[in-house]
Amino acid sequence: MTKASTVTDAMLTRRSIRAFSDTPVPLETIRQVLDTARWAPSGCNFQPWEGAVLTGAPLRELQDKMRAAPMQDPKEYSWSDPEVLPECLARLHQVGADMYAALQVDRGDKEGRADFVGRNLVSFDAPAVLLVYFPRVMGPPQWSDVGMWLQSIMLLLREAGLDSCPQEFLSLHAKLIKDYLGVSDESHIFFCGIAIGCGIADDPVNQFDRKREPLDSKVQFLGFE
Amino acid sequence: MDVSEAVASRRSIRAFLDKPVDQAVLRRVLEKAQNAPSGGNTQPWNAVMLTGEPLQKLIELVAETIPLGLAAYSAEYPIYPAELEGRYAASRFGVGEAMYAALEIPREDKAQRMEVFRNNFRAFGAPVLMLVHTPRYMGLPQWSDIGMWFQTVMLLLREEGLDSCGQEAWAVYQKQIREVVDIPEDHIFFSGCAIGWGDRDAAVNQFPVPRVGIDEAVTWVGF
Repeated sequence: MTKASTVTDAMLTRRSIRAFSDTPVPLETIRQVLDTARWAPSGCNFQPWEGAVLTGAPLRELQDKMRAAPMQDPKEYSWSDPEVLPECLARLHQVGADMYAALQVDRGDKEGRADFVGRNLVSFDAPAVLLVYFPRVMGPPQWSDVGMWLQSIMLLLREAGLDSCPQEFLSLHAKLIKDYLGVSDESHIFFCGIAIGCGIADDPVNQFDRKREPLDSKVQFLGFE
Repeated sequence: MDVSEAVASRRSIRAFLDKPVDQAVLRRVLEKAQNAPSGGNTQPWNAVMLTGEPLQKLIELVAETIPLGLAAYSAEYPIYPAELEGRYAASRFGVGEAMYAALEIPREDKAQRMEVFRNNFRAFGAPVLMLVHTPRYMGLPQWSDIGMWFQTVMLLLREEGLDSCGQEAWAVYQKQIREVVDIPEDHIFFSGCAIGWGDRDAAVNQFPVPRVGIDEAVTWVGF
């Protein structure tokens, strides 16, 4: 995709990309992005984020291991709590429905859906993946700090003409990933992957409409004239 | 402004100019920030934007509470992990010490340091305070989503020429906040964020806040 020249441009052109081309990503570009992203803020300047960027043969080796392994039980962490609430469940279903409609996969097409879930494991063919983990002692505000860093990275990738997809899905193989990277399972929680590469712009899965709540249902203004 | 400049020029600003911020600018920023990503499109962020009289009322109420000390704190989540090791333990007080050094306030001068700390609860003189809250049922990954949105807001503010300071400190006075603004009881109060035009010449806005080297936080495999 074309490079984003402003923050606004980066914001409005960033979307979760679920089909990547095989164009490789230069190490220098990702290093530059991660170097700038270090300036993301964090409470007490903890900078609680840690990660590994994988590409090429080691990435494929990890993906093969994940494909051959059962999903982790119990899960690394629950990403489904809000699913118990109707409002969140509705939003989740909406994204799923819009995405599968774009893929022309029918509701009843279990194989088609399973196929697509499997595409998560290969990070939608992205040539590089950032795997994100951090010490287990980190609490809710540090998770927010990690989010600030991740979004900085995703916006900086847009500036570099690259696309991304955050993948909490990969936490279903958290222990396997940590084992592969030599990261301690005792001290560190695995959070997510970020697929990095060049999106295939005209693939329908990269084009469906994403819905957002109206601003006034999220933000209140008090004291303004 | 490009993203690199926004990320690199954003810093926690602790002295603001006495100049109002147009509501239309804030709406523009927040409208765009709605496009921030979230797992399952949960969009767990909520905010109240305060200025003028209600902001003054909150500042006064908290000023009355501060003399009660720690007994009046009511944070609903732990702001710092109980146990920290290595570089995390080292950074716990690093920013504070760098700030007091820039302001030339020695450790012994507790009264002066307290006075500076209290500036948190005047939003450092910023004309706008954003108060961030989220439903209590949200789990840890949704806190990360809130962070993605929060950083988006701060970067878009830079693009408008505005500055900000994320202020988790306000969490200790969430009870007082709830007396002034209507945050649902089933929501947790997370953080404040001072918003305005930074006084970039002030010493408190100039001291260096170091970051760890890229290879300390990130490992490279297969390149």
